[in-house]
Amino acid sequence: MKMEAMSLSGLDNTKLEALAHDIYSDLVEDACLGLCFEVHRAVKQGYFFLDETDQDSMKDFEIVDQPGVDIFGQVYNQWKNKECVCPNCSRSIAASRFAPHLEKCLGMGRNSSRIANRRIASSNNMSKSESDQEDNDDINDNDWSYGSEKKAKKRKSDKVFLRSLKQPVLLNPNSPRRSKSLKHKNGELNNNVNTDPYKYNYNSGISYETLGPEELRSLLTTQCGVISEHTKKMCTRSLRCPQHTDEQRRTVRVFLPGPSASTLPDVDAVVESDGYDVSDGQALMNRLQWDGSSDISPSDSASSKASTNNSDSKKPKKKKKPSLGLSSSGTGGTGGGTGGGPGTAGSGSSSQGVLSLPSRKKKPKLPAPPTPSIYDDMN
Amino acid sequence: MSKDLQMRAAINQKLIEMGERERLKELLRAKLIECGWKDQLKAHCKDVIKEKGLEHVTVEDLVAEITPKGRGIHRSNLKILVPVLVVHHSYMVSGCVEASLLQQINYYDNIITLLQLSSFISDPH
Repeated sequence: MKMEAMSLSGLDNTKLEALAHDIYSDLVEDACLGLCFEVHRAVKQGYFFLDETDQDSMKDFEIVDQPGVDIFGQVYNQWKNKECVCPNCSRSIAASRFAPHLEKCLGMGRNSSRIANRRIASSNNMSKSESDQEDNDDINDNDWSYGSEKKAKKRKSDKVFLRSLKQPVLLNPNSPRRSKSLKHKNGELNNNVNTDPYKYNYNSGISYETLGPEELRSLLTTQCGVISEHTKKMCTRSLRCPQHTDEQRRTVRVFLPGPSASTLPDVDAVVESDGYDVSDGQALMNRLQWDGSSDISPSDSASSKASTNNSDSKKPKKKKKPSLGLSSSGTGGTGGGTGGGPGTAGSGSSSQGVLSLPSRKKKPKLPAPPTPSIYDDMN
Repeated sequence: MSKDLQMRAAINQKLIEMGERERLKELLRAKLIECGWKDQLKAHCKDVIKEKGLEHVTVEDLVAEITPKGRGIHRSNLKILVPVLVVHHSYMVSGCVEASLLQQINYYDNIITLLQLSSFISDPH
């Protein structure tokens, strides 16, 4: 042991170093040898020179080392500065943004429909949330529309400006746009107030004056619609919104000419008539009485079935309020008020119709008696 | 001299037994590839082969040509660093392969025991 210690102490740093160095050299030599064997085998097996076959092609694909160019010789942002002219809107768009712009511009592609749907949904919600300031507290309760309301709020500021621009257009109930959308909506089951993404019928808070009959109707079939005293706007919350009672909703639907079905669960279904404005004392009738009438049945056949009870009471009222241009697709609960302008049944009401179908069968005759009384009240 | 040789042999043997030699070897190989030593040497091989003719290359030729170069490349790497790193055990910089390997070996605790052993072997002297 002592000898060990002595010999250990005899080993100073340099010696240790030298030893380590020797070990290291051995290892390096082993590595070299390994490489030699590898190369030799490659040569004898014939695969050593495989990666250098053709001088010409080697020159073609040589690595490029110039500034502004990648190693393949391609310029990186060659198309960045180029601008293309959009064939749809005739704007000049940057090349890298051209494809998404086109997608939105043409309204095709997955995203565009999603955006359009969202806009529509949020326009519904916006009118709800805007109509009553007090509602904001309860917004969190409204699970269905919370998400879209959030989005709607964000975009509200954007859209407010647009809305002010667009309002003049919307005010005209007989504008060609409106009738167009009417035609398209025939027979359609839609909860959408507006399927045209460019129309920007996106009201934060809907004032009933600006709405055409068609839209009012469809609005009322899907939304609460109660008119707030503060803002004179219709509540855009769901049909079962806790802020307003059914009575209020009924009142609104009576007040505004020819609105759609009420929210009452026992509401009878609304009969759809296809955008025939007109006459529709009979059309109104159809909505009121939906004995055996399907959602999409033509108003004519429905009217033939409908009783004539309400037609007389309705007609005078129609004349009274032509401006409102709402058609009543009233059911027992609401009793559509006067069918002031075109009395088109809200196609949106069809959804109502579907919902109340079962109740329909249960209480077919109920609508008739109550409605006249309501009219009396209004009168 | 023979003592040193014996010591070296003993150490080597011990390293092999412990499997540390393999580990160090793999480590060295990886580092050599990383720093491009292997590619440089391979290019040199190519030259040698082209010089000698593809058919007639032998292992011995290659070894004779390559090995000194292989070690020499390292020496050149090392020469720059040695004055800086010197004898001190505690250099942190191991940019050079050799230095890092040496570091590994030096910090190897068991080398002490190896040396102990070897000195024990050479004790009778």
